[in-house]
Amino acid sequence: MLKIWSMKQQQQQAENAEGAAGKKKKKVTAAQLRVQRDLQELTLGSTMKMTFPNPDDILNFVLTIEPDEGMYKGGSFAFSFAVNQNFPHDPPKVKCTQKIYHPNIDLEGNVCLNILREDWKPVLNLNAVIVGMQFLFLEPNASDPLNKEAAEDLRVNREAFKRNVRTSMGGGTVRGVQFDRVMR
Amino acid sequence: MVAIDQTLRWKHLYNVLTRSGPFSDEDWVPGPETISTLESSKILVIGAGGLGCEILKNLALSGFKDIHVIDMDTIDISNLNRQFLFRQVDIGKPKAEVAAAFVERRVKGVKITPYVGKIQDKDEDYYMQFKIIVCGLDSIEARRWINSTLVGMADFENPESLKPLIDGGTEGFKGQARVILPTLSSCIECQLDMHAPRPAVPLCTIATIPRQPQHCIEWAHQIAWQEQRKDDAFDSDDLEHIGWIYNAALERGKQFHISGVTFQMTQGVVKNIIPAIASTNAVIAAATTSEALKIATSCNPYLENYMMYAGEEGVYTYTFEAEKKPDCPVCGNLARRMTVDPNMTLEAFIETLGERPEAQLKKPSMRTEEKTLYQRFPPQLEEQTRPNLKLKLGDLIADGQEIAVSDPAYTIDFRYRLDFS
Amino acid sequence: MVEAFPGALVGPSSKERKYDRQLRLWAASGQQALEEARVLLVNSDGPWGKQSTGVSGVVGVETLKNLVLPGIGGFTIVDPAVVTEPDLGVNFFLEEDSLGKSRAQETCRLLRELNPDVDGNFESKPVAELLQDPEFLPQFKLVLVSGPVNRAMLSELRSAAKALGIPVLYTRSVGFYSTFSLQLPAAFPIVETHPDPESTQDLRLLNPWPELAASLTSISNLETMDDHQHGHVPYILLLLHYLEKWKETHDGNVPSNYKEKTAFRDLVRSGARTDNPEGGEENYDEAVAAVLKSLNPFTLRSSIREIFEMDECTKLTSTSANFWLIASAIREFYNKHSVLPLPGSLPDMKAQSADYISLQNIYKTKARKDTAEVIENVRRLEALHSPRPAKIADKDIETFCKNAAHIKVIHGRDLPQLDGEVHTLKAIRNALSDPESLISVFLGYDVLDSIITDIQTDKQSEDALDSTLAWEAGVDRVMRSLTSEASAAVDEGTRQRIIQATQELRRTQGGELHNVSALTGGLVAQEALKVMTRQYVPLDNTCVFDGIRSRSEMYRL
Repeated sequence: MLKIWSMKQQQQQAENAEGAAGKKKKKVTAAQLRVQRDLQELTLGSTMKMTFPNPDDILNFVLTIEPDEGMYKGGSFAFSFAVNQNFPHDPPKVKCTQKIYHPNIDLEGNVCLNILREDWKPVLNLNAVIVGMQFLFLEPNASDPLNKEAAEDLRVNREAFKRNVRTSMGGGTVRGVQFDRVMR
Repeated sequence: MVAIDQTLRWKHLYNVLTRSGPFSDEDWVPGPETISTLESSKILVIGAGGLGCEILKNLALSGFKDIHVIDMDTIDISNLNRQFLFRQVDIGKPKAEVAAAFVERRVKGVKITPYVGKIQDKDEDYYMQFKIIVCGLDSIEARRWINSTLVGMADFENPESLKPLIDGGTEGFKGQARVILPTLSSCIECQLDMHAPRPAVPLCTIATIPRQPQHCIEWAHQIAWQEQRKDDAFDSDDLEHIGWIYNAALERGKQFHISGVTFQMTQGVVKNIIPAIASTNAVIAAATTSEALKIATSCNPYLENYMMYAGEEGVYTYTFEAEKKPDCPVCGNLARRMTVDPNMTLEAFIETLGERPEAQLKKPSMRTEEKTLYQRFPPQLEEQTRPNLKLKLGDLIADGQEIAVSDPAYTIDFRYRLDFS
Repeated sequence: MVEAFPGALVGPSSKERKYDRQLRLWAASGQQALEEARVLLVNSDGPWGKQSTGVSGVVGVETLKNLVLPGIGGFTIVDPAVVTEPDLGVNFFLEEDSLGKSRAQETCRLLRELNPDVDGNFESKPVAELLQDPEFLPQFKLVLVSGPVNRAMLSELRSAAKALGIPVLYTRSVGFYSTFSLQLPAAFPIVETHPDPESTQDLRLLNPWPELAASLTSISNLETMDDHQHGHVPYILLLLHYLEKWKETHDGNVPSNYKEKTAFRDLVRSGARTDNPEGGEENYDEAVAAVLKSLNPFTLRSSIREIFEMDECTKLTSTSANFWLIASAIREFYNKHSVLPLPGSLPDMKAQSADYISLQNIYKTKARKDTAEVIENVRRLEALHSPRPAKIADKDIETFCKNAAHIKVIHGRDLPQLDGEVHTLKAIRNALSDPESLISVFLGYDVLDSIITDIQTDKQSEDALDSTLAWEAGVDRVMRSLTSEASAAVDEGTRQRIIQATQELRRTQGGELHNVSALTGGLVAQEALKVMTRQYVPLDNTCVFDGIRSRSEMYRL
């Protein structure tokens, strides 16, 4: 034990650092620190907004996407982000808080985005996720759907799909399912 | 009670504590003092499961007399194939208590203090009382927590604050043991990429184009349950719940002509079960406690710093020194001490950061564990935290509290401990 | 205990629940093999002189603990020692009340508590006495011996076990060092070696059987498919498709070298559609990634060829083990088709459910057909070499066919001794050329063994264990053995390293440290499990563990 300690002292002296230890007071966690950094490095276009129900808790927030082009233009889509203490080892958990008609988002709000699951890596940051989310509204992907019906509509008849999107965004019913009104 | 002849009872152990070996450090003085150092070393075991049971036994038979153990779990039938301190009648009881009582009963003179709960329940004062901490956990998150706590506690002005962390982990026939000297050697966070992430299947595959029995189970677990039993909180230990998932997965398999869904597989997928056997645990647990004995007594050099074991094909071990990462978010940026005037506003404090020698932080964002002090981006959060700029430090933080600072100009972050002048 | 269980389905039995975490490694078949096995532990062979009771036997008991927990059929502990005070400081399976009682009885009692499904008994006599009874040894599937023990006893036990084909594990754990050796029968076959699933893929893309080749017609319209269909063609079919295209421009040949494969990979890549939102297609990515790995002609691995050529395989008799009969049947299959039976498993890949399942069925059907042919061969061989004790189960033949490319036969060797076989000495000398080698520890143990033998045969007193003279004489003897051939040069460094090893062994005077014995007991149990389940690949044949530097090495001695 003593040997270990003299090693430590030598090292500290060499670095001339001011080693410190706070007692009892909690340390900023690795996940918090990483999110603080990620938030600072975000590039949010005019179509995106983030809100923090509790500004002291940066691990839980809401991202609102308001597309200014594409089929979902004029809508306002809210996603809850929940980052756990195992971030960035674990990806953030993202859910759409509204019921919307989208091939890659199911009626429960689950989102199919590769980097939220199978392709997540700790080197990815929140910006990558947000860019991916934005892309879902510009280019809904029919080939790997979560909402099969919506995907089928998109594949078979793009114009009808567009009409369905408008109907659903207005709070209307598509294929027997009533959607939330999400117009801005 | 009959007096025990300690020298006779501990004959073999005392031999290595009272005689030098060819590899012992030349400055080491073997003898009674080493023995009493060992016996007075308070040691903490985190986890009383497969590794923990072995670790407790090994420490008790390595001469440690004051052992503490933390575990929040209760005993399950599937533990009995390896957690040898537990019996059928113990099912449902807290692991830490049953394990501690068993070893105390078997090895006379050892005191084992159990705590049933989470490691996060305890603060630095608690961890400060131990000389060494041995971990036998299956959760990466818990490992990261204790690691960063111990790194944060290390204070070079106080030798007692350095707590060697010895960590073991197993999976099937494989495992690893490692020694971490917080702030001095590679820490758990530095080695995080050695934990392979759990392979995940795209959600859309599960939702629309399942091909494997596992996809059917994931569908039942992640989609069907949400749709059909939203109001029941899913409990993977509830046989009725697992049974429901199993049936739903079977049905889905039938629909897509996918065979191979079994109850065992359902449990495995839903609970993310990792195979575990007594023998691998014995190897890894004893590797960790052997290091504990060496570190506590200096009777032989300790492991620097990582040993992996794989037993599928013969006996394979690989021992190497994992490297410390200079940009490690936990041990790469230790808190520096800074004395500040509590009457200074946050805004003025931020200006002083721009003049720090180690880094001129021009656009910092910063927080404490509880509070976002100032966050420059995104705009909504900037707006919410802007009022803090006008507040005095003394109103925002406590004396001696740690803040963490990020600045886009630097790839690493900084931690400061602010002492009020 | 009644438990509500949904539907008509039956949940796992309490035994399956208890053993759940290990059944995921060796399945019901491995568990059954364990439950049918009885293990003999020879945990000491009498005292070392007047003072010492001899081997503490902690490593033996710890090994058994790791076998009782997963549920072996039973065990017998042979140990003439009486429990003494030092035993309690090192052995967890003894208690205060055990003092003065038979150590065999006490350790047996406390080990039995671990698992009510395991039968345990004990013998307090020396093993030599028990070996007099011809019925004694044959009841065991495995023999564990805790050393150091005197050479004569070990020799006798080893030969007796060898004659019966019973594997022996001889273990020594002293201070911070341990070593153990596994003596297996001359041919020890393993069917389920559990190779890395990545390395076991056998897709036969270069020589597809007719049904697989025919499945290509389902994508004859590949170019005109809509994006959705195109992006979901299983990569196996893509590769087959582009192979056909390649052959058209390459005189009917498939890409055979690295350069051609790279060109082929570019051909596949160029077929991907990139004008979609993702800018590419996952199934094409998978196809591209698989080119170098999956486009290899079938070749028989040399280890399998060797097995096919062994006498056991070519000269069957009515007493040949099932393994050899099936191996021989598969050899016939190979001679006829130039490939092994298809394992039949298909990796997961991007595809529509129905397309994947139909492709999977093509592989499964072919595997079943191949297995049926092998079964036919087996039945013919059984008839040819009758009478046989029992018909080989179809299930066993099927398992064999699935694993045919990865079966293994270990050529067991005797427990190594410095003055034993020539190959042992040769292997030791080879290992000595590396100054970091742990073989010096093995040699240190040889010195200890000879001292113990001297004490037990009254040639030296027990004081020899802590006598510089005795240890040095031992090292000299080892050095003489190593340099017995004039050509062999063993340098002074080697001698120093052996001396250091003996110093560390001498430090505890032959005593065990609990940690090192617990660790070694884990390693030994692991090998015992592999031997008894006949799954995974056991040690061949010696392991040395160094608890000072926390490392181990394997040697074939």
